[in-house]
This record gives sequence, C-alpha cells and structure tokens, in this order.
Amino acid sequence: MKTRLVCLFAALFFTAPAAALDRPRKIVDYSIEVSLDQDRKTVDGRETLKWTNPSDVPVAELRFHLYWNAFRNDRSTFFKESGGHLRDDEADTEKGWGYTDVTSMKWDGDELVKGARFESPDDGNPDDRTVLVVPLPRPVAPGETATLAITWKAKVPKVYARAGYVRDFFMFGQWFPQIGVYEPKGRRRRTDSGWNCHQYHANSEFYADWGDYRVRITLPEKFVVGSAGALVDSKRAGGLKTLTYEQKSIHNFAFTADPRYLVVEDVFDPAKDIPAGEIARASRTLGRSEADLLAGFRKVAIRLYLQPDHRAFDRRHIEAQKWALAWTGLWAFPYPYAQISIVDTPEDGTGATGMEYETIYTTLSLKWMSHWPFTRLFVPETVTIHEFTHGYWMGLLASNEFEESWMDEGINTFTEMVMVDRKYGAYVVVPPGIGITSEESNRVSALTQDHDPILADSWKYATENSYGRNSYPQPGITIQQIRNLLGEETFWRAFRGYAERWRFDHPTSEDFFDAMRAPGNSHVAALIPKTWYGRGWLDFSILDVSTRPDDGFTGFDDADKPVNFDPDPKKKPKKKPDEKKHKGPWQSLVVASRDGDIELPADIVLTFKDGQTVKRTWDGASGWIKYRVTSSSPLVKAEVDPEHRTVLDRNPWNNAKVTKEYEGPSAARKARVYGFHLVQILLSSLWAIL
Amino acid sequence: MSAIGSGLSSALRHRRLAGVLWLSIVASALVAFLPLRSATEILDSGPFRESLVKGWDSWGVLSLLVVRRHEIGLVVAAFLGAAVFFGLLQVFLTGGTLRVLISGEPRRVFARVVAESAVLFKANLWATARFALSSLFWLGLLVVLPCAGLQKLAKHAPPHGGAATTLFWWALLGGLLVLFNTGLRFDLARIALARGDARNARGAFRVAKQRLSGRRASGIRLLLFWLALFVLVQALFTGAGLWMNPRTNGAVAMLFLFRQAGFFLLAMVRVGFWATLLAWEERRRANYSVMGRASGGATWNASAPISASAPASAFPETGSSVTTNGSALLSS
Repeated sequence: MKTRLVCLFAALFFTAPAAALDRPRKIVDYSIEVSLDQDRKTVDGRETLKWTNPSDVPVAELRFHLYWNAFRNDRSTFFKESGGHLRDDEADTEKGWGYTDVTSMKWDGDELVKGARFESPDDGNPDDRTVLVVPLPRPVAPGETATLAITWKAKVPKVYARAGYVRDFFMFGQWFPQIGVYEPKGRRRRTDSGWNCHQYHANSEFYADWGDYRVRITLPEKFVVGSAGALVDSKRAGGLKTLTYEQKSIHNFAFTADPRYLVVEDVFDPAKDIPAGEIARASRTLGRSEADLLAGFRKVAIRLYLQPDHRAFDRRHIEAQKWALAWTGLWAFPYPYAQISIVDTPEDGTGATGMEYETIYTTLSLKWMSHWPFTRLFVPETVTIHEFTHGYWMGLLASNEFEESWMDEGINTFTEMVMVDRKYGAYVVVPPGIGITSEESNRVSALTQDHDPILADSWKYATENSYGRNSYPQPGITIQQIRNLLGEETFWRAFRGYAERWRFDHPTSEDFFDAMRAPGNSHVAALIPKTWYGRGWLDFSILDVSTRPDDGFTGFDDADKPVNFDPDPKKKPKKKPDEKKHKGPWQSLVVASRDGDIELPADIVLTFKDGQTVKRTWDGASGWIKYRVTSSSPLVKAEVDPEHRTVLDRNPWNNAKVTKEYEGPSAARKARVYGFHLVQILLSSLWAIL
Repeated sequence: MSAIGSGLSSALRHRRLAGVLWLSIVASALVAFLPLRSATEILDSGPFRESLVKGWDSWGVLSLLVVRRHEIGLVVAAFLGAAVFFGLLQVFLTGGTLRVLISGEPRRVFARVVAESAVLFKANLWATARFALSSLFWLGLLVVLPCAGLQKLAKHAPPHGGAATTLFWWALLGGLLVLFNTGLRFDLARIALARGDARNARGAFRVAKQRLSGRRASGIRLLLFWLALFVLVQALFTGAGLWMNPRTNGAVAMLFLFRQAGFFLLAMVRVGFWATLLAWEERRRANYSVMGRASGGATWNASAPISASAPASAFPETGSSVTTNGSALLSS
C-alpha cells in the first residue's frame, strides 16, 4: 500500500512539475561586433556585455573564459592534457596556435584590464590563460546589472579541437570572452553563492548562463555564413559583408564561415514529419492524449551547410534531423526555437566535427560512406541525431559539462541509441545484411573493467578513454538498465518529467536521480550509488547444471532392508539402466551465480527436453541460488537473464549451460565451417598475387 | 585455339592438378582450424547457441569478440600463420604445376607435382623475392612518389577536389597496373624456369622481359580475364554459402561440401590461368626463338595439346632435356 502511495505521488509529481520554467532566467545579454581577417586568420572584436548578479550577495570580481588561450602554446592545461591530439585530429604546432587577448574592459568608464589576472582554479597551472579574473572597483550589488564594454583581438587556431580554421573553413565556437557562471545559493544545490568558472580542459566542455545574443559579423563577401541565430540584417561594401544575427534564450553563440558551403533548406512540419506510429506509442506510454503531446510543436526551419563533395548526404542529414525533432518533441518536449543549422565540416577538419552548440551543430559526412557497400553505415545519421539532441541535454537543460559531463553525453547517448535503433533498425549494416544496433555498440563498454565512477570532474578521469567511457556509453547503458528495471511506462514518464521540469534550467546529477528514484524501485535506488558514484559491476552466470534419472529409493531402509540393490559382495552388481531409455522422473540441479557488487534481479529459465520451460525470478540479493527440480523430462538447459535485460552484465557468455541431454544442432560446428571457409577465401585470394 | 580457349580446355582436362591445388588450400586452412575450434567451443554451451544456429546474433558475436578476445587473437594469429604457410606452399607448388601442364599428362599428378616442385623450389623462391622487390620498387617509383608529390602540391586544397581525385585514381589504377606488370613478368619468369629457358631467377626474369616486350597489354588482358572469372566464382560461392545459412548439422555438412566444390572450381581457374599463359608464352617464344628456329628447336602450336611441344621435365621418362629449346639457349 505504501509503495502504491509513493507511486501515486510520483505520478502526480511528474505530470505536474513543481518548478518548471516557461523561459530561462536571463543573466547575460551580449551585443558583439566581430571582423575576420581571412588571410591572417585574426579576429577583432568588441562586445557589450550586460551581466546581472543573480545572487543575494555582492560580487567583487568577475571571471571570464578565454577558451582560445587553450591553443596559445604547449604550456596550456588543454595542450598538456591532450598532447596536441584530440578528436582524431592533430594540432598544427608550427603555425596552428591561437589566442584571445582582451585589450580593454570598461565598466562605468573604469578600465578593468590593468588589474586583471589569470587564475587556474582546477590545476594551479601558472601558464594557463583560459580563466581571466577581473577585480572590480566596486562590487556588483545583488540584482544589479553591470554593463561592460570589452574589446579583444584573437588569432584563430588551426582546428584540432572543435574551433578553428582549415584552409578557408572557419568554425567559431567558444570564441569570444565569455563570462563565467556566478551560481547563487541553491543553484545546482549549492550551499553558498560563488563563481563556477573552470579552465578549458581537453576532456571538458562548457557551462554558461542564459541570455540574449546580437552578433554582427564582418568578413569577405565570398563567405557563406551559418550561425546560431536568425539573420536580421545584411550589408555589403568594399568586398566585405556585415551580417547581423540575433538569438534569444541561449547560453552560447557559435557561427561558421566557408565560401564552399552549399546551403540546403528544408522545414520540419509537425503535421507531416512526425510518424503517426510514434505519436501513438508516445501517447500510450506517457499516458497523455495525442493532442496534448502535439500541442507545443511548431514548424522549424532547417539549414544544412553542406560541403560540395558531400552532396550525396543532404537527404540523409535532413531526414535524420526531422526524426530527431519529432522524437525529442514527443519524449522530452517540443523544440522551442524557430531554426536549426547543421554544419557539415570538411574531411580535413575532423577536429571541428561532431560538436554541439545551441541551435547549430557540426555533423559528419565521409564521402566513402556514400558509395556501396557503405551506404548503410548510419554513422552520418547517428552523428546528426546525437549532436542535435545535445541541444536538449546540454542546451535546453543546461547542465554543467565541466563537472557532470555524463548529464549531457550520457543521457544523449541513451536517447541516440533509442532514436537510431528505432529509425534505422541498426547503427551499421554491412553486406550481406549483418547489422549491429546502436545499443549493442554502446553495451560493449560494460564488458570490460572500469577505472572510474561515472560521475567525476571531466579532467579527473584516469585516462581519456575512461572519460569517454564514463561520459558516453557507460551512463547511456546504465540509464537503459534503469529503463529495463522500471518498465516502459514508468521510465518514460519519469524521463519526460525530468526533461520538462528542468527545461531552461541547470539540473544536477541528483536531479536526474531524483526523477529516476521517485517511482520507488529499490533496485534503481541501489544501482545509482554503485554506478554513478562507484565502479560497480555484476556478472550473472550459471555455475552448474546437471540432470540424472531418478530411480527412486536406493540403499537401506529404516529396517536395514536393502532396496533396489543386492548387498551380497559375491554377486555382480546390477547393470546400470540405459539413461536414454529412462521414462522419468528426472532429478536436476541448477546453480546460478551473481558476481560483483551490483545487486539486480534476473529471470532464470529451465528448459526441459519435452520443450517445457520453467521460469523463476531471482532477486539477485545473494551471491548464488540453487534449484533442485524433479521433472518428467530431463533438463537440457538453464539460462539466467535469457532476454538480456541486464545490460550491465559483464559477461553474457556464461549466462547459460546445457546438459548432455541437449540434442539441438551445434552452433560451434556451423561457426567453424564458416570460419574455415573464411580462411580458405583469404588464402585462395593470394593466388591473385602468387 | 586461342590462349584462353586452350586454358579453359586445360582447366577441364587437368582436374587432378586442380585437386592438388585445392588440397593445398585445405591443408593450409587446417593450420588455423585448431585455434578456431578452441575459440568456438563456447558457442555450444553459451546462451546464444539457438540464435546463432538460426543466423546472425549481433550481440552474441560482438560480446564474444570482447569477452573472448584472447582466443580471437589466437585465431587471427593462426589465420596469419595459415597465410604464410599457404604462400610458401604456392611458391613451392607452382614449379610442379607448370611442369605437369607443360608435359600435358593429366594422370599421376600428385607425386610429379611434388617432385618437380622440389627441383624448382629454390629458383622459384628467388623469383618470388625478386618479384616482391621489383613490385616495391616500381610501386614506390610510379605510385608512391608521384602521389606524395601531388599530395604535397595539393596540401592546401579541399578534400575530394581535382587533385585528390587524381591522386586516388592514380594510386588505385597505377598501383594495379604496376602489380599486373610485375606479376605478369613474375609468372612468365616462373614459366621460363619450368621450361628450362633459364637456370636461375635472374635469367628467368630476363626471358620474361623478352616475352613481354611489346605485348604487355595482351598479357594483361589474359590476366584480367582469369582474374574476373576468379572473382565471379568466389563471389557466387561465397554469396550462396551465406544464403544457405544451415540450421541442422546435416545442412552444415552440405554447406562444407558445397563450398569445397567452389574452392575446387577456383583451383581449376588457377590451372586454366597457367595453361593460358603457357599458350600465350609459346606464341611469343616463336617470335623470339630465332636460334631455336634456326636450330630446328621445337615451337608449340597453340592449337595443339601443350604436351606436344613441352620440352622440360625433371622426370627422365617424360623426355627431352631442358637445354634443347632454342629460346633457352638465347636466354641462358
């Protein structure tokens, strides 16, 4: 009864979020003018920043991110951590360096730059220049808005980590002096107000306050520009053009420029582009009417900035984008902006590929994937879906990626798995139709030893691989485990509840956990500390399985009378009956085991020779469980978790054992024959040379 | 009869020889069988037995590659070992195969192939080394160097532009052309060794050069014909093998036999290729065997069975000495 009440409360809580916001709290307002010198790869910028102190305490100093100083030299924290290699790209250590220098910062006529200093709050690196601390002549009072006039100059780095140039392709991300986040007490469960302004790390992304942006870009006329905002003004003079973009309610502004872009325009129309089957599924699962689910949808302009050698990918990206808009709109909430821009990066600028910004992101196209037999490698589609959906888990639910990277990457990996597998059926398919799903490709991570918990500051993981594993597939798969534990309806209602509650806000890990714990599933509650705060693992296995004829009572009875045997040592013992002719009953033994520190329930299925099956659910609390079964038919197989619902299982290959009574065809023989043929194919191919 | 017609006819006639070549694939593949057997044992006791019998289980295969990666590593190493063994075996067998084809006698093949191969093995091994070196040299000179130069020139060009496309096709077609040329010369050198036109690899390559002179395109056309036939047979049988997807132990045995038939056909293609090249070389021999003609040395009419003019064999009872041929005198 108590559990039911908890569930009822949880259902009410999720359907009516207590403190969801209709729009974000506006903290910043940027008005930026920037001009690009294409040949020297330099930028001159001016910005007027209006920053409002969101706390109830005065703020005596401001903190700014100067992200491009990560590429200033080989002493920066970013360079030391990355070693000049990141995102399958290499830093150009001859000519590729970049920087941002703030030349002036004025508030009420006072020049602030003179007193400014660089700090390295994360690692104390005295050579890092990515966090600028600016003491103020007087504190900014609570609720007061300070208007700062900032000028800066920058050298664009050769791209190897998200932002930069290659030839005349430019990606401007984290490119302007951006104020850090002053978190008021209570924001993200803080107990006191203070700055949250981390250095730029190789394995970290970003965190910023919401606000409005007006950006005026001047550059040579030949460039095609795509940006986070809507184009509101365009002027041309002297071979240059000045484009003005505006976007409200975002927390970063990115743009791209390349003279070679082909612009493909399309419109996401909810009336046409949301599959009817998906609406019905969402309505049924979420317990909401279709009209309710469709109420917030609007048309969205899609602009694809395509490299000319990637023409073949235009529909692939557009269709993937439309599907992502439909799916996220149904299962989280409808996309609130009027446009989305997709940037297709050149193949010699892979460092800029697959990066999310708000209302704009970079995707991946590789020309060889447009030719048979690679056309069903759904990698470009997956990247499009993945990067767009970042716009939700990083963008609209503005988590702190420095400290909780999984909240963006992990949740995003989970939704990507669902979207890709539902739309395409697989992540990659190769002839002759062999496919691997997105979920499977991510589940592989659970099969090997982990070195870190999921939750850690992004620069504190043991290795770059460990950061990758614990930010992307591990949390994605763990959320999938929670989904399997809660069941479809409960999980998706909790999931959508989380999304709606924290839209336009800054959730923490615990906010997500609260949403998942609320339905009252004790296994979920126990799983969270083991995985997010620990390195928990588990491995189900069948330790032992046997079956033998039950010949009834054999031995001496209570009256010392021999039963079923002759105690006379001179007489030959009776010949053992042929087991194959035994009509029953049969005695069988099954021992199942759970190794590791995560306790999860699992089904155990016993299959008998006559085709009958018996299913038992084991709570997984003990280290092992033993079943003794008497049956009319011999046991042929015992299997734990036959539906593979325990996606965190470290070794699925020990989940079953067969007895000698099993008479099915041999998979090993089949595999050997195909393997043998594979060797023969490879060998005979050598005849072409030898 | 055309060279290709002669090759097709020999492929059908020399089935036992094809059988020897097929056996060489089976024997080499057996090198990889034990590790393969050990790595796949788990399939029958694990949870994916039924699904794998039915067909493809992506999670089963993917997880197997991770949790049994050491065993899979052994299998891959065994595959490589089998490839090395097979390579050496082919270098060994080619001499005997050619001698049997030259003799034209399709029976008592196995012992003769082995015996003749043993005689020619050392020279063939040197010829193979020479082929590898010359391939590397010409690939480096005609493909790698120009490509590297073009890449440097087009360093700042966008991907897949004119330079990149030229580079790709030059690397692919140029590389193939180089390999066809060096491969053809290697094959002709081995023929020269088998015929006794040369005593060592160096001399054999010199003879091969003469044979190829001015007729490279014609030689490469023959090579392409047999290569296309080879790819066709390989693709057909591989596709059919995958399509069969046997679900019973009996069907698995049938699949095995069916695929062996495919590999036997490939061996026949191999025999046909060699016979075609022998016929083609014989015509070239006529053009260059001035001394041979003058001295009344035998030249082979392509429409006649190969054995009619085959001069060389290590078996005393099969006839003439390796030095009776005019072209041999010319090249040695």
